[in-house]
Amino acid sequence: MKPLTATWFRSLLVQASFNYDRMIAVGAAWAIQPLLRSLPKDRYHEAMRRSTQFFNAHPYLVGMAMSAVARTEQDGLSGDMVRRLRHALISPLGSVGDKLIWAGLIPFSVGVGLTVGALLSPIAGMIVFLVLYNAAHFALRTWALREGWRQGRAVARALTAKGIQRGMRIAGPLGGLVVGFAIPVVGGWLAREFTLHQKLGIGMVGVLALAFAQWILPSFRGIRFGLVVAAVAFVVGWAV
Amino acid sequence: MTNEFSLLMLWGTVVGVDMASVGQVMISRPLVAGTVAGMILGDPISGGTVGMVLELFALDVLPVGSARYPDYGLGAVAAATAAAGAPGVFGLGVAIAVGLVVAYAGEIGVVMIRRANSRDVRRHRDDLDAGRLRTVRGIHYRGLLRDVVRSSVVTLFGLGLAVAAYRWTPGTRLGALLMTLVLIGTSLGAATSGIFRMVGKTNIVRWFGLGIILGILFVVIVQ
Repeated sequence: MKPLTATWFRSLLVQASFNYDRMIAVGAAWAIQPLLRSLPKDRYHEAMRRSTQFFNAHPYLVGMAMSAVARTEQDGLSGDMVRRLRHALISPLGSVGDKLIWAGLIPFSVGVGLTVGALLSPIAGMIVFLVLYNAAHFALRTWALREGWRQGRAVARALTAKGIQRGMRIAGPLGGLVVGFAIPVVGGWLAREFTLHQKLGIGMVGVLALAFAQWILPSFRGIRFGLVVAAVAFVVGWAV
Repeated sequence: MTNEFSLLMLWGTVVGVDMASVGQVMISRPLVAGTVAGMILGDPISGGTVGMVLELFALDVLPVGSARYPDYGLGAVAAATAAAGAPGVFGLGVAIAVGLVVAYAGEIGVVMIRRANSRDVRRHRDDLDAGRLRTVRGIHYRGLLRDVVRSSVVTLFGLGLAVAAYRWTPGTRLGALLMTLVLIGTSLGAATSGIFRMVGKTNIVRWFGLGIILGILFVVIVQ
């Protein structure tokens, strides 16, 4: 297997040893190793030493950092330069990944999946979601790894490329629009068997959950709010 | 029964490791995890339905850095098991509640394995700083193994809880109905607040608002 291909596959497991001390550094060191293998022994050990130090990045874009760092190691740049490049990539890769994936691709593909699930069937929704999401996911992973290897220390250029900038501008609004559309559609579908009063009850709890999460007690949101109201509902239902 | 149990255990383990350790191809999203678990049990509609509710809860999650978050994928596997064959909407609320408890257990498990990984890193600090491949590989594989064990244990706990909940549901129909109503409402509120938190005060909020208006119009006019 070619070193770049091996690193691509290993990058899929980069978070397996996530820890609070060095974040994904151990996984990244394990993934970058095939790209460093061809270095002379002393430089290989030096490069591996640097690779095990603190590192974090968005998991889908981590390949860009790994291949760019490996390229600079191959080009024989000083250890200090490599270290600085590695550190300099942490924030931008995290920021781009968060905007593209967590605030864009996830809400978009989940929104489409949920809408299709409600209008056709959950199986159709699941398939549409997986295809949409992973087409973009794997394309991004592959592009990031290749681009890092191609650009080396000039990898920042890849992050300012027109396609990425345009993607970041479009991803958020599109994700927001689609998931916004999906929420009432799924809500309507879930509540289809209930009476009007029960539907009103669902709406009131929804508003209450939103109010708690946004304004009243933000730490008491989502799953915590859900578990407490479920327990209250059970006790009330049991007592009445 | 044994086949279904084995398949659910296998599916739960795969779902659990997909969340962060392996691939992140999003089979750990509740929509997928719940639907497939439902298919294993011969009831994909119930599995998909609880998966969709938990998917709304999961929109409240922003998995950045070392943030801790519930494992809704494993929750969906357990919820689908509790919902399969349950009597309509009455089973839904109990199943979602089971899913939430299991998701929370999964979250605790994630924190535990990350702490164990940290201890492992500290224990081998010198070898790691020396860049020894054997140490790197060892820590990484042990981290992966920990997540496999976590996923299996939480799945087993979830299946046990689902079976217990399934047996107990018929006796408390009003409680089950109320749970269904409040948990559907909470999931809608959680999804909305999650998107608000994610996009902050950017112009995306306007697009989100427009989406909600269009969605409501669609529900009123078409459905």
